[in-house]
Amino acid sequence: MSTYVLMRILESAPRRYDLGIRLLTLGRLDKAYDRLAGHIERGQRVLDIGCGTGALTLRAARRGATVVGIDINAQMLEIAVRRAREAGLTENVELVEIGVAELDRESAESYDAVTSGLCFSELSEDELAYTLEQVTRILRPGGLLLVADEVRPRDIVTRLLHLLVRVPLAALTYVVTQQTTRAVANLPEKIKAAGLSIVSLNSSPLGSFSEMVARKPAGGKL
Amino acid sequence: MNRLSFMWLTVLQTLLRLLPFPRKTGLVRIGSPGRDSPVLLTGNFRLTVERVRRALEGIDAYLLVANSRGVNVWCAATGGLLTNHDVLSVLKTSGIEDLVDHRQVILPQLAATGIEGKVIHKKTGWRVVWGPVYANSIPAFLGSDLEKTAEMRSVSFPWPQRLEMAVAWAFPMSLLSLLVLPFWKDGVLPIVGLVWAASLALFLGFPLYQLRLRASGKQIGFVFFAFGERGIPLFLWILFMVGLAGYTALAGEFAWAPIFRWGLTSLVVLLVLGIDLTGSTPMFKSGLHEDRLLRIALDAELCKGAGFCEQVCPTDVFEVDYERRLASLPRAVQCVQCGACIVQCPFDALHFRSPSGDVVAPDTVRKFKLNLLGKRKVAAGAREPQVIS
Repeated sequence: MSTYVLMRILESAPRRYDLGIRLLTLGRLDKAYDRLAGHIERGQRVLDIGCGTGALTLRAARRGATVVGIDINAQMLEIAVRRAREAGLTENVELVEIGVAELDRESAESYDAVTSGLCFSELSEDELAYTLEQVTRILRPGGLLLVADEVRPRDIVTRLLHLLVRVPLAALTYVVTQQTTRAVANLPEKIKAAGLSIVSLNSSPLGSFSEMVARKPAGGKL
Repeated sequence: MNRLSFMWLTVLQTLLRLLPFPRKTGLVRIGSPGRDSPVLLTGNFRLTVERVRRALEGIDAYLLVANSRGVNVWCAATGGLLTNHDVLSVLKTSGIEDLVDHRQVILPQLAATGIEGKVIHKKTGWRVVWGPVYANSIPAFLGSDLEKTAEMRSVSFPWPQRLEMAVAWAFPMSLLSLLVLPFWKDGVLPIVGLVWAASLALFLGFPLYQLRLRASGKQIGFVFFAFGERGIPLFLWILFMVGLAGYTALAGEFAWAPIFRWGLTSLVVLLVLGIDLTGSTPMFKSGLHEDRLLRIALDAELCKGAGFCEQVCPTDVFEVDYERRLASLPRAVQCVQCGACIVQCPFDALHFRSPSGDVVAPDTVRKFKLNLLGKRKVAAGAREPQVIS
């Protein structure tokens, strides 16, 4: 039992998570979240998958939606709870410590929108497929899936270029937060395969960071 | 994986044992499993998965690889890296539910410090069975109707494991000793030699001083000023110094400067190697965790003799009287404070007690995973975090 260094590191990481992620995404993330939250309307019911410290959850709640945020990291949720309280948003925010594997407890067609920021890249292939299947099920027809995440650039040249930028950034982030993320490959295809249609796709210049809006087709069963 | 790549993997991951090595999570088929085949689960430390796979050769089974962040099962479960969420996730998303007719999953016993069988069952319908500690006893375990002998339940520290730990410490320390290269070119090779010799002596010699470690009890002491673990590194150092002085005197080259220089160097090497000597063995609690001062305590009023404690204890502390429906701790001195029994007891009859008499309640142990900062103990008196729901 001597993962001494590791434990110490993980212990202190969540508090510095926000800072680290901002470094890794070069500040792009906040703007992406703002744009995504712009799709949410007053009175809607929203699910935030992997809400972490509440970045997207609180944005959606500020726009007047009722938001359920889920995450498996209790320490991150603690921060999210505090931030919700400080923002006076506890009334329309519910934070639950569950993982994507428990999405089957949500009823079908019960959400107007599902958001997810930097969570899909933390999931395994199996988990991502399961999540997208569940998201399609719990969205009402016409409902939106709003995603901001790191994706793997498509062609080999940009992938190499991206690696050059990414490696030092990831190293820096690891030093600060001891966290890093992986990139998802072929996310739009996976979203389409789950039965949603892509409404808009906004990628960073190197194609390594993507914002996606996808819609569950209105009417008609999938 | 063939024999050669398995050997290569073993060497690489032994040299870099202190670092995590993640592997893809999900379902692994062993042999040609069918609808009644056993389902086993392990963490995604690469070497663990390969070892389990080899141990199961000739058996048809499904192996679920859960996300333990590339860390071995015991450390991951105890440190909060292999949690209920990870087990739930692989059960639900790997597709195993469509492949077998039963709902019984065999977990490594050492995962009992972090995974709650009760929660898994309630949320998924899967029944958790605690398998043996070591993968190589799985075939015997499966062959005996899932009955575990005391041996299958217990951790041990035989020489191959001791050698692994010696290498796991010596290799990164050798790399670190390269740092002296710019200042002391001639010193590097002897230091590397010293590191390997000291590490091998410390770990291979473990049986010689094991009893002393146990008898000394759990004392507080600042790591360095307690001279590592109960003076064992210090003892080795004195041996080394006597040898060094004797050798130089006999060779007729006795001089104070090299004696002083090597005395200091070897002391540093031994102290660093000895920083977490007990924690590098499975037989003792890490000397760095504040939890080492906690003691396991049984509330006989609450105990119903269910026997979960006996099934998950890696050091055979418990004895359960199934007639009187009561557990006892006749071998409490062997306890490593891993907390598995506390986490699993369905009646909350076990808890930690600090030297000053504070109680660390079962739910605190379940919630706060073990870590260096002794959060479990701190949390006993602190405000519990709340989740709005």
